[in-house]
Amino acid sequence: VIETLAFWLLFLTFVGAFAAQVSRRVRIIAAAPDGFSLDHLPFRIRRFVVDVLLQVRTIRERPAAGVMHALVFWGFVAFGGYTLTEFLYGLGIVDLTHTAWFHAYRGILAPFAAAVLVGILFLLVRRAFIRPVGLGTHVSIESIVIALFIATLMITFLLTFRLPEETMAERVNWWAHMLVILAFMALIPASKHFHLVLSPITVFLKSPELGNLPNLDFEKEQVGLETVKDLGSKMRLDAFTCVECGRCQVNCPAWGAGKELNPKAIVLRTQDALLAGETGRKLGDVYTEKELWQCTTCGACENQCPVGIEHLPILIGSRRGLVSNGEAPSYLGAMYNNLERRSNIWGLGYDQRTKFIQSAALETFDSAKHDVMVWLGCAGSFDADFQKSLRSLFEILTAHGVKFGVLAKERCNGDPAKRTGNEYMFQELATGNIEDLKAAGVKKILTSCPHCVKTIGSDYRKFGYEVEIVHSSVFVEELTRTRSAALSGPRETLTFHDPCYLGRYAGKVDEPRALITRFGGTIAEPERNRDNPYCCGAGGGLLFADKEEEPGTRISDVRFKQLQATGAQTVVTACPFCSIMLKGAQASAGAETQFVDLMTFVNGKLKKTAPAAMPSEGL
Amino acid sequence: VILVIAEQRGGKVNRASWETIAAAQQMGEDLAILVPGANAGTAAAELAAAQAKEVVTLEHAALEPYTPDGFTAAMQAAIGQLSPMYVLLPHTYQTRDFAPKLAARMDRAIITDVTAVKKSGADVAFVRPMFQGKLTADVVPQGDAPHFVTFQIGAFRVDQAAKGTSPAPVRALTVNVDAGAIRQKPEAPFQQAKQAVDLSQAERIVSVGRGIKEQANIQVAEQLAQAIGAEIAASRPICDAGWLPMERQVGSSGQTVAPKLYLALGISGAIQHLVGMKGANTIVAINKDPDAPIFEVADYGIVGDLFEVVPAIIEAVKG
Repeated sequence: VIETLAFWLLFLTFVGAFAAQVSRRVRIIAAAPDGFSLDHLPFRIRRFVVDVLLQVRTIRERPAAGVMHALVFWGFVAFGGYTLTEFLYGLGIVDLTHTAWFHAYRGILAPFAAAVLVGILFLLVRRAFIRPVGLGTHVSIESIVIALFIATLMITFLLTFRLPEETMAERVNWWAHMLVILAFMALIPASKHFHLVLSPITVFLKSPELGNLPNLDFEKEQVGLETVKDLGSKMRLDAFTCVECGRCQVNCPAWGAGKELNPKAIVLRTQDALLAGETGRKLGDVYTEKELWQCTTCGACENQCPVGIEHLPILIGSRRGLVSNGEAPSYLGAMYNNLERRSNIWGLGYDQRTKFIQSAALETFDSAKHDVMVWLGCAGSFDADFQKSLRSLFEILTAHGVKFGVLAKERCNGDPAKRTGNEYMFQELATGNIEDLKAAGVKKILTSCPHCVKTIGSDYRKFGYEVEIVHSSVFVEELTRTRSAALSGPRETLTFHDPCYLGRYAGKVDEPRALITRFGGTIAEPERNRDNPYCCGAGGGLLFADKEEEPGTRISDVRFKQLQATGAQTVVTACPFCSIMLKGAQASAGAETQFVDLMTFVNGKLKKTAPAAMPSEGL
Repeated sequence: VILVIAEQRGGKVNRASWETIAAAQQMGEDLAILVPGANAGTAAAELAAAQAKEVVTLEHAALEPYTPDGFTAAMQAAIGQLSPMYVLLPHTYQTRDFAPKLAARMDRAIITDVTAVKKSGADVAFVRPMFQGKLTADVVPQGDAPHFVTFQIGAFRVDQAAKGTSPAPVRALTVNVDAGAIRQKPEAPFQQAKQAVDLSQAERIVSVGRGIKEQANIQVAEQLAQAIGAEIAASRPICDAGWLPMERQVGSSGQTVAPKLYLALGISGAIQHLVGMKGANTIVAINKDPDAPIFEVADYGIVGDLFEVVPAIIEAVKG
């Protein structure tokens, strides 16, 4: 009886401490101006199974540590019923510890306990002695304590098999086990181990779309995130969920190039500001403006996060707040002027686009006549270098009997405005384009610009406009599937740079590779490839940054070195902006590396093979 | 009476004010020139050379430093005393700041950015661009006088302003302005750190790209620049490599230039460079690669080795 009363007292104290800390955080989350979205439920359930139950995202990038983590996680889940039963017993509510099923259950748990022990000891050694850079510069004492707690829990559990019942040793062991659980509970809400509770929820609530940025509603005078109180529910939940693993940090191209931005620090400073109750503090002060403008919006942080944190809405949301207050860097001012006056990022006159259309003998899109509308984009409309790639694409299309046209008029799709937080300008450009696309009766768009794919394909949906848009690599891969055998001669070794907006955002990693290998190339893969490429440095408006605005090494220089390290003499690109950045880096390095756009590569090889049999009908 | 409100700083009248005087003289009525602000006397002595009925100075604590509230109140009081038919102003930043407010305060019409005056008999129409200069409109002000008109800078020529045979009389005006009604508190003016090299004003530019191969070779371009009296500039890779200082970079992330002559040596012509120099009158490109995009914008293209071509040009210029 005394034992039960003592246990009740301790139970209430520790659970009370846990509940008080949790409710404080819940109140902070509830004070957010918005709520949570549960759209695309089947997708969310699928992702929950894959990333939470199967721990795929945790394992994928760090297989050893990930598997060890999975052992601990599965062990915890397995122990749920055991812990509950022991609490019911300790509180004197019901004693199920002598039932036959409990004995069987304990037997099953034994190997789990061993696995947890192995896992946690591995993680403990890794944290205390190996100390990977992503985990931070100093060893977290709290993490060591928690790891020792977990080890103690498992050891005390395993000891129950050895200690005879109703002995002093058995009671001490039981109390040790239960006290550790209680202490653990009181400790976790204020630590990174709160992810134990929150990450399944956070993963479930994470937007199905990478870099999801709902439109601002100007009617409601929304201007973006200005102060801490503007942070949304999911952003607040994210801040408390962070497990500080540093995957976002080590994958961030800005951090990798020695800049100030560290996505992990962004999340942790959000948490500090929320807990300190600094609701009126400016976000340009919580984070530095410099950090906010160093993000290329490549999406690596958000995509690699194992606990469902979305960094981009915070970073770009804060940019929106700055832009609304006229605090954008000066290089963006010049670009915004170009967008406002000429509707393209270069500030060039549209007569140049018309000249290109005439010289390439392109037809104006007619839905009755054409299978597909080719969207040129700012690069395709004005950049003579990228126009070579488009001419290649047109030749491929013509050779395969695809009937295509272009719009008489195009504006920038709005990506540079959207990603730099100039929402007003984005909406102006987007609504104008949507009107034109609707008026022209466009059903399917083909483009060579991955940024146009993302913006038109998913950001335009938020205006209720849905259209099929495919990148040229995907379209041409399908178109040329029958054209493989005719090539002769030795295979050429090339390397391929995945554009962030194609590989990571659109997940199209196999199609460009299929084209390269189909047409005689062998790919020397660079580090950071496929759906986790290292950014070229152009995204998020940084194409326009001058060197003073972009301290540290240029991101493009870092990426170019990675590509050079493959030993390949030729880099294949599939995005006009990657091409601009990497060619700049190549010129700065004085390297001999060649660049070829994917479409130019394919067309060059196609021309050397026998002409295609004309398909009887278009796609 | 037609009243021109001249703009001056430290006693120096700006060109745009003289242009506005030229416009006013075309309207052919009695002309008075009002010059507000500290040192108005010095400015008035200069303005008195114009063919005008009188020059009126207006000095008041509310006018220095400039605030839109102070200016609006003082101008309203001055206009009340002078009761002109038209109030003409140069379309400067300062005018854009206070003139609409002044017109609204007095509930009078304002016609901005006027490029020409059309006079037929007693009627005056003001010509102003519309739709980004695609159309021009003839605008006639309605309602009671005075009518406010601002003139586009450069639309009239300073040398068209007629000078009087003898200096116009100068008198000082006094007005009452409630200092408490001025809501703006200006801070000390600052000038943004000027680029050490202002390429935007250069008439000729010799620009270097990666085709120059080595830092030591930049002197070839410098010799050419010296021979033709040009500034030296570069594309991004040259400045990134530190071969020339950052402020000599031309392009979307450097300076935007519009010289009469732009000589591009070994520049391939990446789009972000082209947008920085597309305003040049004549572009001459020298590049080994006949497919280089620079030839798309060049007026004269030389496909060849710049180390052969440039010395030949220097020779020809000197010869």
